Amino acid sequence: MMRTFRGGLLIGLAVAVLVAIAAIVYEFYDTRTLKRTVRRGEVLCGVNAGLPGFSIPDDKGNWTGFDVDFCRAVAAAIFNDPKKIKFVPLDASERFTELQKRKVDILSRNSTWSMARETTYDLYFPAVAYYDGQGFMLPGSRKIDSALDLNGSKVCVQSNTTTALNLADYFRANNIKYEEIKLPKLDDVVKSYSEGKCDTLTADVSQLYALRLNMAKPGDHVILPDVISKEPLAPVVRQRDDDWMMIVKWTLYAMINAEELGITSKNVDEALKSKKPDVMRLVGTEGNYGEQLGLPRDWAVRIIRHVGNYGEIYDRNVGSESKLQIPRGLNQLWSAGGIQYAPPIR
Amino acid sequence: MTTFRHLTWMLIAAFGLVFSSTQSHAQKRPDADEPGLVADDGYELEPQFKKQVVYYRTTEAPGTIIVVTAERHLYLVQGNGRAIRYGIGVGREGFQWQGLVNITRKAEWPDWTPPPEMIQRQPYLPRFMAGGPGNPLGARAMYLGTTVYRIHGTNRPDTIGTAVSSGCFRLVNADVSDLYERVPVGTKVVIRQKPEL
Repeated sequence: MMRTFRGGLLIGLAVAVLVAIAAIVYEFYDTRTLKRTVRRGEVLCGVNAGLPGFSIPDDKGNWTGFDVDFCRAVAAAIFNDPKKIKFVPLDASERFTELQKRKVDILSRNSTWSMARETTYDLYFPAVAYYDGQGFMLPGSRKIDSALDLNGSKVCVQSNTTTALNLADYFRANNIKYEEIKLPKLDDVVKSYSEGKCDTLTADVSQLYALRLNMAKPGDHVILPDVISKEPLAPVVRQRDDDWMMIVKWTLYAMINAEELGITSKNVDEALKSKKPDVMRLVGTEGNYGEQLGLPRDWAVRIIRHVGNYGEIYDRNVGSESKLQIPRGLNQLWSAGGIQYAPPIR
Repeated sequence: MTTFRHLTWMLIAAFGLVFSSTQSHAQKRPDADEPGLVADDGYELEPQFKKQVVYYRTTEAPGTIIVVTAERHLYLVQGNGRAIRYGIGVGREGFQWQGLVNITRKAEWPDWTPPPEMIQRQPYLPRFMAGGPGNPLGARAMYLGTTVYRIHGTNRPDTIGTAVSSGCFRLVNADVSDLYERVPVGTKVVIRQKPEL
């Protein structure tokens, strides 16, 4: 009698140990980010440590910006709470490796999508959140409104950057004569420009607007509408993690589709009563698109209610309601003069 | 005690004053038309409503005007992915429309004859007003198709960026004059509305 009891105890103990080992192994080898995020109860979002308009913390540690809001939208879709998120500031040099090492679930850090970055780091850029590109800033008094009219200009540019290479390519291709003033540090480039040592300064357009804010008289400088290079900024996730990639991708597309359909954080309740099929599919009153992503039916409503549609996020952080005042340009909807185009939800 | 009563009366009087001023505010003319007011040419527009060249991708031919009412912008397509963008004031709720029209007539310092339907809604408006700086149509007008609507100037630059008109599109006088020089009679005008839910 005693012996069978002891035997049962041993078997029970063995089973318990096996289950524990299995759980640990599962925890380590379950690489599906969505499951890990849900279990953790928050999204880990890798961001730039301080880039006005895109991601910057205030003195109380509240983050604001376009990239920050995108991560909040992902958290809103999953948890119905944009605050279930932790921002992890990352340097440009470590951002991709930290994502690879699973220190963050998603990188939303003004990173340009390029082929080499996907292949070298085993990463995936699901969709373009912001079309940036290289442009020119010059004094408004010069009365120039096209980069093609910059013939004979002295151009300030940061050396050893793709910016300098793009400049050479563009001017050569368009047969424009110019004189380069190359400086290693961006601060010095700006200083030379403001001292009048060059006629124009070239950098990425989003950067030019931020630099203009710091000029003595911002209103005296114009930024040309020309964009001479492709800098598609996109969120980044790990490869072979499709459930998660799909959520990140469709979070962005839900925001763009919402803007196109006229759904905003202010009228989202009205949209829930709409009888328009496109609107019904997005807000989940028709179909089960949310369930197919592993999310509830109202996933898109959560995003729009808590964070807003694409245009709202743009205007608030970098556009007409922000200090930066960057025109929508390429980031306007495809139907309104830009190239932001989301596949339909159907 | 007398001081207290005094105070109470003063309070009531102050309240009455505030009340009457909000009342008169509520009666403010709905389209912000102020015939006779001379435009303040020094008025500084908000940055997003200042005339500027912007990136604009469209399949419409250069020379076409595209009015995007939700944005309060009027684009003059330049080709090469470019447009000149002006800030505008648009029709108030219930006075917004969309469609495809042509400019059928152009006029400098136009006279103003408010259409009968407008007189009916706003009987205080003049029946006729000669062109000039106090005229709500401003420095230039471009007539749209056979409609009663126009692209015109304004004597109220502070209404640029708002939805107050009876369906016309207004620009500040400097901008409307600039646009006027750039577009001939026959110019295609596309008016776009925001989508309905």
